Amino acid sequence: MRIILANIMAIYRKELLSYFASPLAYAIAAVFWFVAGCFFMTILLGEINQAAIVDQQYGGTVPPFDVPYRVLQGFLNVMGSFSLFILPMLSMGLYAEERKRGTLELLATSPITNWAVAVGKLLGVVTFFTAIVTPVLGYEAIALSASDSPVPFVVPLLGHLGLILVAASVLSLGMFISSLTDSTVLAAIFTFVGVLLLWTIDLFGQMFGGVVGAVFGYLSLLRHYSNLVQGVLDTSSLVFFASFIVLGVFLTAQSIDAFRFQRS
Amino acid sequence: MIEVEHLSKIYGSTPAIQDVTFTVEPGEIVGFLGPNGAGKTTTMRILAGYLPASSGTARIAGYDVHEDSIAVRQRIGYLPEVPPLYPEMTVEGFLYFVTQIKGVPAGDRALAVNSALKRCNLEEKRKVLIRKLSKGFRQRVGIAQALVHDPPAIILDEPTVGLDPRQIIEMRKLIKSLAGSHTIILSTHILPEVSMTCSRVVIINRGKIVVTNTPENLEASLVEGSGYEVEVEGDPETALERLRAVPGIRLVESMAMEHLRDNRSVYRIVSATGAEPGREIATALVSSGLGLCEMRRTRASLEDVFLQLTTSEKAIADDWSRGAEEQRSRGAEGQRSRGAEEQRSRGAEENSHSALSTKDEALRESQPSSFEEGENQEQEGDL
Repeated sequence: MRIILANIMAIYRKELLSYFASPLAYAIAAVFWFVAGCFFMTILLGEINQAAIVDQQYGGTVPPFDVPYRVLQGFLNVMGSFSLFILPMLSMGLYAEERKRGTLELLATSPITNWAVAVGKLLGVVTFFTAIVTPVLGYEAIALSASDSPVPFVVPLLGHLGLILVAASVLSLGMFISSLTDSTVLAAIFTFVGVLLLWTIDLFGQMFGGVVGAVFGYLSLLRHYSNLVQGVLDTSSLVFFASFIVLGVFLTAQSIDAFRFQRS
Repeated sequence: MIEVEHLSKIYGSTPAIQDVTFTVEPGEIVGFLGPNGAGKTTTMRILAGYLPASSGTARIAGYDVHEDSIAVRQRIGYLPEVPPLYPEMTVEGFLYFVTQIKGVPAGDRALAVNSALKRCNLEEKRKVLIRKLSKGFRQRVGIAQALVHDPPAIILDEPTVGLDPRQIIEMRKLIKSLAGSHTIILSTHILPEVSMTCSRVVIINRGKIVVTNTPENLEASLVEGSGYEVEVEGDPETALERLRAVPGIRLVESMAMEHLRDNRSVYRIVSATGAEPGREIATALVSSGLGLCEMRRTRASLEDVFLQLTTSEKAIADDWSRGAEEQRSRGAEGQRSRGAEEQRSRGAEENSHSALSTKDEALRESQPSSFEEGENQEQEGDL
């Protein structure tokens, strides 16, 4: 057990190092921060304007609406959708690069299991994503601290936890797809298509209705994400994310095994 | 230490290796020699546990490479055809990472990395990013990676590819220095490499083992071909007659040579087993008034053995050097396309009986760029 942990840590450190040494990762982080900042400003100013308009038109007669929550929800929803574009770029190289460079041969002939490699890699990329998402909490902290009735900080934290869980699921799927090909571009495209399907599967579910609809609804990443964003910590969502991540790791380990068995 | 029994690997319907059986004793260096596409890399990959065999068994240190994969992986160092390197890491950082995944205890890692750096002459490059290294240095990092955890068995797939002559000599010294404490199997298509580093050689062609023996025995077994080459001034008829009369000579052939001066001719003389008729040849020629312009000893080399064992027609052998020349000028191709080419050439070889042009093509493609290259490198290296 200790050896497996040590192996996972070794892969994890190597992955982190490769992200922090890679210009692509910094470019992705820069774009992420820029776009997140723009969205945050737009949403914040939008809500403030709307509040001002409501105030002007109705005076103090309408029940006050919760501006901080609306800002937070709007922002996290946008961030969720935006991550769909970023995440495939982070996961595309996880295995495709190793295959292309031939380093998979080193990993596959070292006394280390495919599981440990997959877990280490996933942890690495999730850590990197967490690192680029965390500064965004700063924006929220500043804006929400101005709120009159103070907002419990656990709400944005839960939202961000949701964002990271969604990201981990998507990355786990992306890792599996990356293990199927040695082209990073193909891996990114297929991951994007797959994630888009899972994101919007809810809509198809509503079309069918009944049991099929319910199943499709449960598979929708968006629905589980919205729960967390709204501050609802639903066990079924946590189970969903956890099983999604484990499945991704399992499939990755299997696909690497299969790759070695059938390659010619 | 390494026992391989009836190993076969079939890709689809084409067999890459068939019924390969050999053993490597502890502390031995065994060379795995064959032209490109002969199945060397496949065998190495099976031994390293990267590929499963279709049938047969391979055991390293008593563990089956497939059943006890992890136990085997702990005991081997493996350099694949393409050195597995992370370009964004430093040499030192990469080797440290390798000690981690190979399970070297945390306390011994720094020491292991240092001694590997020293052995492979990489100390000056320890802080350099692998991305910035030249091909020769990358190859050395690849080898350092294979021995950093001090494994009892080391598998090297073409370890000297991409090195310059000086580095090749150093690399061979390094490999030789590992013998005794490590068991080494290395694949190569460069013949001099085998006679220089290996205590035993396994020759493989088209997936089958042709012969297993020591380089010396192989050379000795080929007495035919050792003899002399002489350039003579004077009447060719007389020269031929005189030479044939010398005792201890089995065969005299006149060789067609371009750029010969008028009145000169060149002969190839094959001596009888054990005979040394050098002095007699010179006397016979000079005493009959002919001019002896050049006399050169020719010795059977491993190359001759190799050619004899892996080809049946002499014409093919002559084509080889030409093919090698062309292959080299075509230059280094991408790793992946090389695999495709191997496949293609294997197919082409099989069709070679039907059309002459195909055969020529096949030869050119399948020929190792090796023989001449190896020799040239030797010569340059000796300077």
